[in-house]
Amino acid sequence: MEKTKTNTQRSLWQDAWRRFRKNRTAMAGLIFLCLLVLIAVATVVIDVVTQKEFYNTYVTSQNLVERLKGPSLEHPFGQDEYGRDILMRMLWGVRYSLFMGGIAIIFSLIVGGALGALAGYYGKVIDTVLMRFMDILLAIPSMLLATAIVAALGTSLVNVLIAIGIAYIPTFARTVRASVLTVKDQEFIEAARSIGCNDREIIFKYIVPNAMAPIIVQATLGLAGAILSIAGLSFLGLGIQPPTPEWGAMLSNARNYFRDAWHVTVIPGLGIMLTILSLNLMGDGLRDALDPRMKN
Amino acid sequence: MSDILLDIRDLSIIYATDDGVTEALNGACLQLRKGESLGLVGETGAGKTTLARGIMRLIPNPPGKIVSGQVFYDGRDIMELSEKEMRALRGRQISMIFQDPMTSLNPVMTVGEQIREVIITHHPNLSKAESRKQAEEMLEMVGIVASRYDDYPHQFSGGMKQRVVIAIALACNPQLLIADEPTTALDVTIQAQVLEMIHGLKVKNNTAMLLITHDLGVVAQNCDTVAIIYAGEIVEYGTLQQVYKNILHPYTEGLFGSVPRLETNSKRLAAIDGMMPDPTALPKGCKFAERCKYATDRCRAELPDMYELEDGHKVRCFRYEKEAQ
Repeated sequence: MEKTKTNTQRSLWQDAWRRFRKNRTAMAGLIFLCLLVLIAVATVVIDVVTQKEFYNTYVTSQNLVERLKGPSLEHPFGQDEYGRDILMRMLWGVRYSLFMGGIAIIFSLIVGGALGALAGYYGKVIDTVLMRFMDILLAIPSMLLATAIVAALGTSLVNVLIAIGIAYIPTFARTVRASVLTVKDQEFIEAARSIGCNDREIIFKYIVPNAMAPIIVQATLGLAGAILSIAGLSFLGLGIQPPTPEWGAMLSNARNYFRDAWHVTVIPGLGIMLTILSLNLMGDGLRDALDPRMKN
Repeated sequence: MSDILLDIRDLSIIYATDDGVTEALNGACLQLRKGESLGLVGETGAGKTTLARGIMRLIPNPPGKIVSGQVFYDGRDIMELSEKEMRALRGRQISMIFQDPMTSLNPVMTVGEQIREVIITHHPNLSKAESRKQAEEMLEMVGIVASRYDDYPHQFSGGMKQRVVIAIALACNPQLLIADEPTTALDVTIQAQVLEMIHGLKVKNNTAMLLITHDLGVVAQNCDTVAIIYAGEIVEYGTLQQVYKNILHPYTEGLFGSVPRLETNSKRLAAIDGMMPDPTALPKGCKFAERCKYATDRCRAELPDMYELEDGHKVRCFRYEKEAQ
């Protein structure tokens, strides 16, 4: 190591970032995701500033003469069954996948994480009751569970979020519980207790940071899954309704024209695939970077 | 007497598992004055760590349970305290150094923060800068430059980690330090350094220490009084002089026999025959009777009391019954 102990102020996150940067595929995933976030934010800003005028002119305006036209200079990704520009629709669709997936995962991470931590830390009856309940949820395939919840509550944006959020709670609860269990019997937890820490401090300062790596990986992979589920629900017609340019809904509509125009299905499909891939790559990279035992 | 800091009376601890009840500690009585060092010597499984955890009330429950006994710390019975009062005591009044420095530090927290943690736990009103300054001073005190405050435990060697553990234990100037085999995981040269440092800091702050070890040499160097523990019972208890110069209990005799000596030229060391009794099925009489060359039928049937000799030297063996009276 050429730079010895001169860098005194180096936090865990700076350290993790340094290691993350070395991982090229993970960086590619991160860059792609940053791009998506930028697009999502930019389109929201455009909508607000132009009061949906831009949206109405370029994203939802139909041009039936040029329906299903392949890629051209004017429309690089081609046009769909109503002659709408697919590039614009893809750009406007980013927000649904990314933000809704994110919100759903944060929701299930908080709920599932708290339940898992409680079950793992306190054990006994709490553990048994919570975990058996999670097992019941887990026994139902998550897609089926989400479909059932949406069918029961009715199709709306919020209901899709709730459905996917609930469907992912058990996986998080299990991951968090498992990591809490491996950490809580280690000697440094007892050492923490011997200096007078209370349960809250032990959970949040000692157990959670040590159990973080698998949780973060699970969250990135879960986000990928949630995006797929949103797309899947929309594909089934239970999620976001047309004409909203959601990728899954676009894919679903394009199904009928698959034989005549390849681009109407391939483009949204590729969009979903690339997003999932970059999330998975990033999750992998994060796992390696966040493990302090893998330093240097 | 008011200068008695710790007074353990008849402390018994069991572990109730599926395989039966393990009697880990049976009626231990010990006293520790302010600033004094007590060495607790015994073999693996004798109940040394259980005793230490009992004082901290950190017996994992279940399966552990404190059956009876009192532990007076500064006149207050620790067993009667609420969990909140106990937390205020831990780390502030009574600190513990764990056996293995490799696992007793939080791997994802910088060492400096871990020292600061104990300081802010017990002094919540300190500002961040002040507590950090104190933590840095503690690091310097155990011989680590303050610039390593932001390093993680894995960047330290074993000896340095143990220094950090000691810094954490002493950060709030506790009255009582429980050192549970503080040097067992370290090699001999580092052992000497660490022990010397503990000793120096102890004298400086007038801290009492309960040193748990199986190394008689370490005790000779660091302690004022010695207690020998066997199968959950204190079998011999006295000052360093008394125990080392006038060995009474056959078990202690055996322990000393198994230490190589410089002055004699023996080819083989005398080992104690047999094994420590199964703690789930302890014999009724003297726990050591099975392995004792002086054992009589009475030893096997009846548990000897702790007999106190005239000079205060205590031993749990019938051979000294008359002498004590």
